[in-house]
Amino acid sequence: MEQQYSSRDFEIVGENFITENIEVKKEKSFKETFKEIPYISVLVLLVIVLGCAFPEIITKQEPAHMDLANINTAPNSMFIFGTDSLGRDIFIMIWYGGRVSLIIGVMATAISTTIAVIYGSISGIASEFIDDVMMRFTEIVLSIPSILIIIFIQAMIGKPNPISISIVIGITGWMNISKIVRSEVRQIRNNNYIWAARCAGGNFLYILRRHLFPNFISSIMFMVVTNVGTAIGIESTLSFLGIGLPIEIISWGSMLSLSEKALLSNYWWIIIIPGIFLVTTLVCITNIGNYIRKKNNQEFSNL
Amino acid sequence: MVDKIIGISKKVIQLIFVTFLLSIIVFYMARLAPGDPLVSYFGEGVERMGTAQKLEAIEKLGLNRPIYEQYFSWLSNAFHGKFGISYKYKQDVLSVIKDVYINTIILGGLSFVLTFLFALLLGIFCAENEDKLIDKAICKIGTITTCVPAFWVSLLLILIFSINLGLLPSSGAYAIGQSKSIASRIKHLILPLTVLILNHLWYYAYMIRNKMVEEMRQDYVLLCKVKGLDKKRIIYKHCLRNIMPSYITIMALSVPHILGGTYVVEKVFSYPGLGTLCFESAKYHDYNMLMVLCLITGILVVIANMAAQAINERIDPRMKHDRGEKDWNNNTAPGTLK
Repeated sequence: MEQQYSSRDFEIVGENFITENIEVKKEKSFKETFKEIPYISVLVLLVIVLGCAFPEIITKQEPAHMDLANINTAPNSMFIFGTDSLGRDIFIMIWYGGRVSLIIGVMATAISTTIAVIYGSISGIASEFIDDVMMRFTEIVLSIPSILIIIFIQAMIGKPNPISISIVIGITGWMNISKIVRSEVRQIRNNNYIWAARCAGGNFLYILRRHLFPNFISSIMFMVVTNVGTAIGIESTLSFLGIGLPIEIISWGSMLSLSEKALLSNYWWIIIIPGIFLVTTLVCITNIGNYIRKKNNQEFSNL
Repeated sequence: MVDKIIGISKKVIQLIFVTFLLSIIVFYMARLAPGDPLVSYFGEGVERMGTAQKLEAIEKLGLNRPIYEQYFSWLSNAFHGKFGISYKYKQDVLSVIKDVYINTIILGGLSFVLTFLFALLLGIFCAENEDKLIDKAICKIGTITTCVPAFWVSLLLILIFSINLGLLPSSGAYAIGQSKSIASRIKHLILPLTVLILNHLWYYAYMIRNKMVEEMRQDYVLLCKVKGLDKKRIIYKHCLRNIMPSYITIMALSVPHILGGTYVVEKVFSYPGLGTLCFESAKYHDYNMLMVLCLITGILVVIANMAAQAINERIDPRMKHDRGEKDWNNNTAPGTLK
């Protein structure tokens, strides 16, 4: 007797046989994409940036105006955030000081990113030996705490002003980005389109601008954004410790440098209010940076 | 045995080479700095010196020779333990450092150990409760704590605990005249330690959380589960062991990070240590002191890196002879079918 088999009687076995259903990821709708944007951070940052960019609209008063009759007044209806030990209105100083702080952050990042991109691409394109030497150099520089290098260079430069501070922060903060740039360039440097561009006579800067840069921009973007926050933080630390901006140049850091005297007399507003603005800005920038990083490496999770 | 000796001597040579490079960089930077180098030897007295006296001093100190010659004479002096005189403290650099380095070691070492202990526990706790409410809350709070500059946290803590509540001292390493009293030292350590731990904790805890989450998706975890092991055992006995090498590498890489933080916090709390010395000498252009401090810090970091590599090789034999890196990155537990 012959038995009849249907395909259901058999089960396909084997170690590589896939039993799970593979889900195809659907394209996200606009609403879902919008939900992921850290819009609270973006909004808050926008308010702070706009306020610092156009402080003249908020108040007509000069930030450096010293009202000697009202020294160290606690926040009241006239001075919303109080006044500091020189009689300056903290509410006005916040916006003018924020301008300096933000400018330093952006300028320092621009400098460090430029150095990092150029250094990293040279190291990525160069021969094995030169690449090795260049990367050892970055490791040695990374091995000294950056605050130490910064105070060393700052001590050499002498009188600090916003530009010198951003240069100092810029030339000490490029190592991490340059490492990423280098590894990205290493990966793409042997692609055919690079060879084609070279054969057609494109020089290094042309290839960097047209071919390499668009390729690694997305992977360094989040570090660039976070670097703005780091630079603002370093500036305020330096100014607070007395080797950054002097008190006459108003920034969030130099406002906080008055706080040592304020501590003893318990004038909390001089310490807390500029600090809150500083921290809020840093948190917003970090959140946006994290969002950019997440958007860039969207890989499937195994679970 | 021979392998071991070769390995150790290689490391020593590497250490010497890096120190040498570092000293060249630091020396050139200090000498090329604008400002009169004579000031760093004689202080304000320079202004009262005549031209002939100045020339004589320059000749005597060898400042008219090319920099590389100066460097070698500095180097040979350094081998005899003479790093010059600190202009600010009017003493030999080493004797100034000798008085305070122990304070930095106590603060830095304690914060290092405690940060990594808490980071490990917090990271594992978050990984266990992945994507639950508590994990998300800790992640949010943690992100904020890493953004807050250390000096501002210190100010807040001083404001709350020493000014308003009057519980803890706000500066120094010990109460006056009580340098031997341990209780006094501990009391002075609490605030700086809290700041340092708060500032660095989440950065490392988050790394461990992510590593752990990745590790828990591995196939061998499934096998352990099938075998009937409970969750705690799998995490602490199997997963933890596997993330340990990268954890130790992170620890080594974090030395400059935490040391830098220690320096800043020391200055805020006026804690007598290397950090306070650094800022003071930067303020008064005391290059002799700064150079030595940079060198010490750099050497410390290099040694930490080497120690980490050595420990890793012991824990994970796959890391030996540099080919381990590949195995580690492949992320395949032995025996996984591919």
